[in-house]
Amino acid sequence: MHSLEITNVTKKFETPKKDPFIAVNDVSFTIEQGKIHGLLGPNGAGKSTLISMICAMQRPDAGTILVDGASVTEHPTEVKQMLGVVPQEIVVEMAFTVEEVLYYFAGMYGVPEHERGARIREVLTELDLIDKLKDRARNLSGGMKRRLMIAKAILHKPKFLILDEPTAGVDVSLRQKIWALVRRLNAEGTTILFTTHYLEEAEQLCESITLIDHGRVIKNGKLKDIQQEFSKNAIHFELFDRCVPHLDGVTEVGSDYEFPMTDLGRDMTALTTHYKGNIKTIRSESASLEQIFLKLTNNSNV
Amino acid sequence: MMTGMWALYAREVKRFQKIMLDTVFSPLVNVALYLGVFGVVAGDRMVDGISYLAFVYIGLLSMMLINSSFSNPSFALIIAKNVGSIIDLQLVPIRNWKIGIAYALAGLTRGFITLGIAVLATVWFIPLHTIAHPLPLLAGVAITGIEFGMLGVAFGFWAKSFESLTILTTFIMQPMIFLAGVFYPIATLPAPWNIVSQFNPIHHNVNIIRYAATGYSDGSVMVSAIVVCAISALFFALMNFVTRRNLRMQ
Ligand SMILES: Nc1ncnc2c1ncn2[C@@H]1O[C@H](COP(=O)(O)OP(=O)(O)O)[C@@H](O)[C@H]1O
Ligand SMILES: [Mg+2]
Repeated sequence: MHSLEITNVTKKFETPKKDPFIAVNDVSFTIEQGKIHGLLGPNGAGKSTLISMICAMQRPDAGTILVDGASVTEHPTEVKQMLGVVPQEIVVEMAFTVEEVLYYFAGMYGVPEHERGARIREVLTELDLIDKLKDRARNLSGGMKRRLMIAKAILHKPKFLILDEPTAGVDVSLRQKIWALVRRLNAEGTTILFTTHYLEEAEQLCESITLIDHGRVIKNGKLKDIQQEFSKNAIHFELFDRCVPHLDGVTEVGSDYEFPMTDLGRDMTALTTHYKGNIKTIRSESASLEQIFLKLTNNSNV
Repeated sequence: MMTGMWALYAREVKRFQKIMLDTVFSPLVNVALYLGVFGVVAGDRMVDGISYLAFVYIGLLSMMLINSSFSNPSFALIIAKNVGSIIDLQLVPIRNWKIGIAYALAGLTRGFITLGIAVLATVWFIPLHTIAHPLPLLAGVAITGIEFGMLGVAFGFWAKSFESLTILTTFIMQPMIFLAGVFYPIATLPAPWNIVSQFNPIHHNVNIIRYAATGYSDGSVMVSAIVVCAISALFFALMNFVTRRNLRMQ
């Protein structure tokens, strides 16, 4: 069964001038149980809006969302019980200590009282926050607050964990910790959906991705397949001297050049014979997510 | 699932326990001041067979109960909306009406604790030595606390800021409390006000509590009990309506 099944979901808002604005436009994709899925796209693409519809916080104007087969709009409480959610905005309670925040939040998901203490300690230890147990939540630093929000989301051992930009504004070593935790949870069977700005992170973590831009899906599938699709037909190379006559079919891509490939051996020979010692680097490796992303979003902007 | 709602209730009780001094002392000082003044002014006066001081005392305690039960959920919810932690209420798997009830019950609990402490601190100075109807008194206090707790939830979800809360308390709650027969029997009020007071829901809460505590009633107890139940049902409906509007999927 799919952990998440999004079918033709659309969400419209009204702009201040009362014009309709489509934040999520006919989006469909699925996530298989036990996978790590990245939802990627530039700012304002509609990622957070889509996530808030999955969490039963906003209602789609059209389309359906099923979590573990249950409709989010028809069974919101049941769906919420299965989810752990780390929202994009950092929000903390004013009055409570870290321990209290977690204790009551776990309770609201039905974690029995006698289990809460041990779970809180376990999660905080893993997130390197255990020495803040008795501190007031609002006095934590930004990165600590972010980790507190992650802790809140996983205490009840959700089947499906959703993280909206969990590493935004978090330093490198902390990001490693967060991703290590996500990997462990995934290894234990938790399905993960996350969004991030850092495409390298997505590259390292995800098996599958959905790229969205202007509310529309522009690419969806297994990361490997997408990378192959974008690289199998091209050789990338850099030149020392850029002011030289080019071989037919060579195009500039940033500081690189690209040559459409039909046969690896023959095309490589053609390029090296033409440019000779002018070639600084040459490769036919898989395209990075960033390159794919730029290419796709440029195309869709034209 | 029941446990989720109770955890939310426990959290809201914890919230006011953290400001216990505030919770207890400001209403306590309030009641003590009023009693000091009325004690001096009223002396040994009697109202229909009970001492005036005892009459006012029960009125003041009812007022305190109503204020604490109402303001606890309103404050908590207005703060939650302002700092954004209201999102927690949208994420957790607790149905909307249960979220409302958890907050209202926490309001009742605060009212109850405040009342208990105020009584312990002041009852020694009041010529009131027995409780006329203990169980009805408990029921009257409980239903009054939950009733205004629910109104507080509705208001907390509806209000945008603390200003609205101040406006409501100053221009609606306070006048209603003054016309509720807290300080004098409403029959003794001049012409239009004695009738108007009959339509003041708070009057009926004060009346059932005072009747249960002292045996004295300021109008029909039966009518008051029916009005209190009806208004509670109304506030329950209002609370659910406003809670849903705020927490449902938009
Ligand atoms: N409640 C709302 N009302 C009006 N516009 C909104 C609302 N929420 C989001 N938007 C708009 O929808 C678009 C998508 O926003 P969002 O989902 O937050 O993007 P992302 O998370 O991908 O950065 C943005 O242009 C944003 O301004
Ligand atoms: Mg976002």
